[in-house]
Amino acid sequence: MSVAVQDTTWEPKIVAFCCHWCAYAGADLAGLNRLAYPSNVRIIRVPCSGRVNPQFVLRAFQRGADAVLVAG
Amino acid sequence: MKRIGVFICHCGTNIASAVDVKKVAAVAATWAGVVFATDYQYMCSDPGQELIRKAIKEHRLNRVVVASCTPRLHEPTFRKTVESVGLNPYLFEMANIREQCAWVHAKDKEGATAKAIDLVRMAVAKAERNFALSAAKIPVTKRALIIGAGIAGMQAALDIADSGYEVVLLDREPTIGGNMVKLDKTFPTLDCSA
Amino acid sequence: MVAAAQHPQIKLMTYAEVENVAGYVGNFEVTIRKKARSVDASKCTGCGTCWEKCPTKVDSEFDLGLGKRKAIYLPFPQAVPAVPVIDREHCRQFTRGKCGVCQKVCPAGAIDYNQQDEIVTEKFGAIVVATGYELFKWEEVYGEYGYGKYPDVITGMHFERMNSASGPTGGKIIRPSDGKEPKTVVFVKCVGSRDEAKGKSYCSRACCMYTAKHAHQVLEKIPGSKAFVFYMDVRTPGKAYDEFYERTVHEGAIYVRGRVSKIFPEGEKLIVRGEDTLLGRQVEVAADLVVLATAMVPSRGWEKVARMVNLATDKDGFFQEAHPKLRPVETFTAGVYLAGACQGPKDIPDTVAQASAAAAKVCNLFSRDEMTTDPMTAQVDESLCSGCAMCQPICPYKAIEMKTITERVAGKQVSRQVAAVNSGLCQGCGACTVACRASALNLKGFTNEQILAEVDAVCL
Repeated sequence: MSVAVQDTTWEPKIVAFCCHWCAYAGADLAGLNRLAYPSNVRIIRVPCSGRVNPQFVLRAFQRGADAVLVAG
Repeated sequence: MKRIGVFICHCGTNIASAVDVKKVAAVAATWAGVVFATDYQYMCSDPGQELIRKAIKEHRLNRVVVASCTPRLHEPTFRKTVESVGLNPYLFEMANIREQCAWVHAKDKEGATAKAIDLVRMAVAKAERNFALSAAKIPVTKRALIIGAGIAGMQAALDIADSGYEVVLLDREPTIGGNMVKLDKTFPTLDCSA
Repeated sequence: MVAAAQHPQIKLMTYAEVENVAGYVGNFEVTIRKKARSVDASKCTGCGTCWEKCPTKVDSEFDLGLGKRKAIYLPFPQAVPAVPVIDREHCRQFTRGKCGVCQKVCPAGAIDYNQQDEIVTEKFGAIVVATGYELFKWEEVYGEYGYGKYPDVITGMHFERMNSASGPTGGKIIRPSDGKEPKTVVFVKCVGSRDEAKGKSYCSRACCMYTAKHAHQVLEKIPGSKAFVFYMDVRTPGKAYDEFYERTVHEGAIYVRGRVSKIFPEGEKLIVRGEDTLLGRQVEVAADLVVLATAMVPSRGWEKVARMVNLATDKDGFFQEAHPKLRPVETFTAGVYLAGACQGPKDIPDTVAQASAAAAKVCNLFSRDEMTTDPMTAQVDESLCSGCAMCQPICPYKAIEMKTITERVAGKQVSRQVAAVNSGLCQGCGACTVACRASALNLKGFTNEQILAEVDAVCL
């Protein structure tokens, strides 16, 4: 545990489920305005945040994601 | 057999300045199912689209992935491109490496390239599981119902009717006119309301 | 109004209410109740003999009680269509079973006491909801203004009726209590608007301007009169609006910035007590007439309309547009559009603009003979569906219905319920797929397999 705390190069892997109509569009807008943010977020487009099955979230954790964001 | 083609767009320097597009294409070419991968300056341009059409025919592609801007912009464009050479438009998939990658990680070329590879891999994985979809056609009854015959209802009715369509203007009161007919002169011109 | 009535492509259906809306964009089936007028519209000539001879007098709703109407009546003389209705609650023929005067005098034989409500079902491709507004019921909450007990405290709408040349007073501004001409008129703005404690949090947008118009009308019509306006802010954001307000001020309207805390009678007068926040002192005006600019609220019955057409509403009951900036006249139900004050308080220019926008959207829809639906809709695997119907209430678009299927199981015909998606109504949100315990529902274009593959690919 102490090793992890001291390891400053560690970056979490974040999976984001974004609604096509709002959050995904918001992420596009961030790009349009050239807002910089760390590159360790991967966005998966869904047609609605209601489409996000809890199973998807669990699967992401199972496959090694450190955080999951559902935005919509 | 899935035969996937991957096309990486430079978007001039918009993407290419932050993402090593050649590397992304080269990595994609090694994946199972990907039979063709390339990069080009502007995928959405005429020559860019022609490149996709040619590749579909030459390599007998049955899935197409374009990595470029947001699908909110050019998804319809590329769907038409693949459709024009006989591929079902829903066999096309897009990876957003501009708005959600190159533009937001402009100072982190390494990170942006790694992310672009991930995003393309994601799109390829999805495309593998795409199947042909067909849009249903439904008839349109060219007749409008307007609920409420006040100013708004009457104006909408007149505009629609003037375009030649039939309109039913409905109101629960015995007369049309709504609140408007109760009003005397109206601001700011003080003309009458009827 | 006459233009709408005479247009060959417009069919009027007055005294009618929508009972049910089924179907989807391009293919709505609407059930309409045509209420019994007790007058055969095909025979009636609108001659007016019936309402002249009718012996029953009732307060006119149209004139907000300032005038009277008969039990068989036109709401106002220029009503369209000029076919009267019998108010069965007050008509002696219905309440006491005898009278029949109108039937006797009608030269066209159009009076029909046995007429029944008629239910019709018609097909439409698009629906424009333009149900408008009504005024906030200030009498129920504003005790300091007298709970509606003082006859000379009226609303702007009463004032409009008095000003109308065809109105109950023939265009004269009077005190409803004694019919005298008021010399001092006080206007109170934001009654119910911008008052979260008693009314609504929003601004009703038209009141600043019509109050300026009313003050102008007082000064114009009544020589030697005074018009006071108590206001919170003067909001005049429209073309030629501020100029109009300035003109009223120059004509002599006295604007006092502050809320009115109490209105009470003293002799023949009404004392209006308020605060002048600019001068920092209390003011009292002895008024002959007080006109309240009451808030606009959604027209009664908005809940029913929202439920039938599947519209979202805001906290105050105004219908929600699909996007506040980019899709201002569309709704979340494809093929249903909004126009006018049912979407939010607005004045006439904005209403007309929005109505034309809604019409343009309808014409756009009608410009095609058939429309292509987005194929990315939900799909049921009937072999997996258990018929639990959990998906049905989840669907925000009412696109899922249960249907019965018959299949052969072990040589026997068995019937069971399964979910069925109407692809015309389905907007492809996929909420149902998550609710489905059997994973019988999947979303084409965003299938479970596709999204899981994406998750796997991205977590590699």
